[in-house]
Amino acid sequence: MRLKAIVLNTFKEAARNRIFYLLIAFGILFALSSRLVSLLTIGDTVKVLKDIGLAVINFFSVLVAVFTGINLVYKEIDKKTIYNLLSKPISREQFIIGKFLGLALTVLAALAAMALVFFLFLLLTTGSFDAPILLYFLMLYFELLIIIAISLLFSSFSTPILSSIFTLSLYLIGHVLWTYNEFKYKLTEPAGRYLSDVLYYILPNLEKFNIKNAVVMKIPVAGDQILNAMLYALAYILSVLALSIAIFRRREFP
Amino acid sequence: MKATSRYFLYFFMIFAATAGFLQNRYDRHTNYFSAKNVFISLPSGKSLRVLSFGFQNLLADVLYIWAIQLFSTYTIENRFDYIEPIFNAITDVTPAYRDPYMIGSLIMVYENKDPLMAIRLLDKGSAALPGEWIFDHDAGYYAYKFLKDYPKAEFYYSRAARKPGAPSFIQRNKAHMVYLEDNLTVAWRMWQEIYRNARERIERDSAFNHLFQIKSDIDSALLQPKIKQFREAFNRNPIDLEELVHRRFIRQVPRDFSGKEYLYDPKSGQVRARQVFRWKKFS
Repeated sequence: MRLKAIVLNTFKEAARNRIFYLLIAFGILFALSSRLVSLLTIGDTVKVLKDIGLAVINFFSVLVAVFTGINLVYKEIDKKTIYNLLSKPISREQFIIGKFLGLALTVLAALAAMALVFFLFLLLTTGSFDAPILLYFLMLYFELLIIIAISLLFSSFSTPILSSIFTLSLYLIGHVLWTYNEFKYKLTEPAGRYLSDVLYYILPNLEKFNIKNAVVMKIPVAGDQILNAMLYALAYILSVLALSIAIFRRREFP
Repeated sequence: MKATSRYFLYFFMIFAATAGFLQNRYDRHTNYFSAKNVFISLPSGKSLRVLSFGFQNLLADVLYIWAIQLFSTYTIENRFDYIEPIFNAITDVTPAYRDPYMIGSLIMVYENKDPLMAIRLLDKGSAALPGEWIFDHDAGYYAYKFLKDYPKAEFYYSRAARKPGAPSFIQRNKAHMVYLEDNLTVAWRMWQEIYRNARERIERDSAFNHLFQIKSDIDSALLQPKIKQFREAFNRNPIDLEELVHRRFIRQVPRDFSGKEYLYDPKSGQVRARQVFRWKKFS
């Protein structure tokens, strides 16, 4: 019950944020502008339309996740509302998990709004419903959950500016982690290899969730790959949340 | 309105008018459509993939649209200096993107007049998407049409014909290449097979025309030397082709594929079929 209250409050708080609506509006606007860009191409205009639409939704939903996530815990501390909250029978674990779930709900609402408009737009433009894109949105949501967990982790001990830099850096690194295997073989020192191995498994591999290229080009995605990515997301989120709780428990609020 | 606000409004109008005037002056002395050369440097396809941070499709689309604009800007004189690296970069970023192979090779052939470059790009497409017949088909067509390299064209048509969903005309193109290579026996066999297995009228008619032409070529190659031998023996041309049978130069007079007699001119000693197909003339 207490957890539910935190979740709903987090959702309401994030939904009241003007940046949240601004990002969704921009996301929808840019996704619709893909129609204009597709007119410039020769060949498969629908592919360009989908590419740009999905990329824009991806980009703006990441921004929603990062910029809403980095403020959540920090704001409570900065405005000293945390004292009020923690004086009530709410554990710190409940606080972090509640914030995470509230933010997950917020991002789900944002993603659903953008996806719905995009689907309607696609239906009106092409006259067909492209079901595999739903799978892409599902995978994107799992990726966003990881980003939320990471932004929450940084938000629990750092300032919003630093948190946004750290989270966005991890987002970018997470999408080029596939180059690690080539990089590893260029290292001659065993210690360097060991360190790179550790980093490889610690850093989030977000490219696992990137199936937009395959979905648009109608390349089949293996069920194993989807399941593996979902389980990976679950494990990663739980580990980051555990770390966030551990850090947050150690924090002193005089 | 306060006096200071009014002054700022006046400033705005003065500076906006000045900026417009300066731009207009610049435009009057600048020819945006004059011929020029450009320098383009792109990172490698692999680097671009890394730099796309998961947005490979979007990056490839942007590069592709930019490339189309670049190669259709006729005022850039050296635009084709970069065509191969540009299309290689796009197809390195998203190897499964079909359009850059097709449109890129089209520009390379028709605008840049370099069919070998186009075939290289199509080869890359065929390697990246082994199930697609269209790349091999296009490569075969360019080899046939622009290089007149019939064995090469036959190779590509053969490869395209083996792929799933390949339309039946590719098999016909392949047989036509074999004919153009002057391998009449093999071409005859291939066209007969096409004729036997034809499901549509267009296929049967096409096979019929080719068989007609091949038979005419084979029969002409048989009859012309016999007429020459006759002329050497009797100091004249045979009156008709039956005379070749009577004088035992041939066992019987061959007929064309439709069962009609060949046209023979006793004056010149030339044998020809009643019909010559347009594709034969222009190939």
